[in-house]
Amino acid sequence: MQTPSFKGTHLFDRLCWAKENLDGVQSDYRVVYEDSVDECAKILVPDPNWMACALQGGILPPVWVYHALAKDEAQPDFKKHTRGYLLHETEPMPAMTEEEAIEYLIQKDCPEAVWKTYNEGNRLKMVICKKEQLPQTREWRNSWKISEDLQVAA
Amino acid sequence: MAGKIIADTLEHSTAGSIATNYVVSGTAKAWVNFNGTGTVSIRESFSTSSITDGGTGVYTFNYATAMTDANYSSGGLCNYNNNGWGDIVLYANNASASPFTTTSMIFRTLEYASVFDAAHITPQILGDLA
Repeated sequence: MQTPSFKGTHLFDRLCWAKENLDGVQSDYRVVYEDSVDECAKILVPDPNWMACALQGGILPPVWVYHALAKDEAQPDFKKHTRGYLLHETEPMPAMTEEEAIEYLIQKDCPEAVWKTYNEGNRLKMVICKKEQLPQTREWRNSWKISEDLQVAA
Repeated sequence: MAGKIIADTLEHSTAGSIATNYVVSGTAKAWVNFNGTGTVSIRESFSTSSITDGGTGVYTFNYATAMTDANYSSGGLCNYNNNGWGDIVLYANNASASPFTTTSMIFRTLEYASVFDAAHITPQILGDLA
C-alpha cells in the first residue's frame, strides 16, 4: 500500500491512518541496556504498530525532532512545547529496514547517555539481541547484567 | 487524508450536541495492551513506540508522538495473578521527581501493594498533543 503524502499532516492523523491500514509487525529484536548501576538491565520492546510505520515509510518524523523537543523540555523554564510543529511539518522518514528501525528506536527511547557511549568505558552498556536470547524467568533477569565478555561488532 | 470535516459542534437528532473540542481533548492520545510476564510482548496499541521493561513490575510507556507538556493524565488497569484486577501506579525515583515526560511515563504494577508482573497491563494517556 502506498503511503499518502503526509508532510504537514498532524502526526496523530498519520498514526490513525497507519492503525487503519497497516498490519502490526512483531519484531524479534530486543535492546538490553544498563543506565544505572543500582538497577537491573532494562529491555526495550518495539511496538508492532510503530514498527509497521517504520517499515512502511512516510509516517514517522526524523529522530532529531524528538531530540529537539527533549532539549526544549530539559530547559529549567520549560512550560509547554512551542515547537510541536516539528513533529508534523518535517519531512517524514522514508521506509526503513527492521535493523534501521531498531537503531532509530534506540535513539528515540533509550537514554542518550546510554546509546551515545554504549561501547565506551570498561564495559558494554547496551546490546541488541533476539527475543529468544533473553532469559524467560524474572528471577534471573532481575539480577541480569550484560556479560563483560561480549565483543562489540565492527 | 481522503477528506476533512471542519466543525465546532456535533449534533445528534435527539440526544443533544457536543463541541468537537470535547472529542479532541477527551480522546486517548496513546494506549497499549501488553503482557508483562516472561519476555514482554505487546498485544495491541495506538501511538506507542515501545515498552521498556525495567524489572519486576516496572515499565516505561514510550509514545510515538509527544504531549504538549508533562501535566497530562493517565489511567489503566492490570490483572492480579489471582482473580480480579491489579493496580497501576505512577513511579518516580523520588517524591519530587515527575513520572511523566512529554514522550513517556514510568509506572509500576501492584498486587496487594507489592510489585508483580501482570499478564494484562493496559495504560493509556489523555491530554493535549504537542
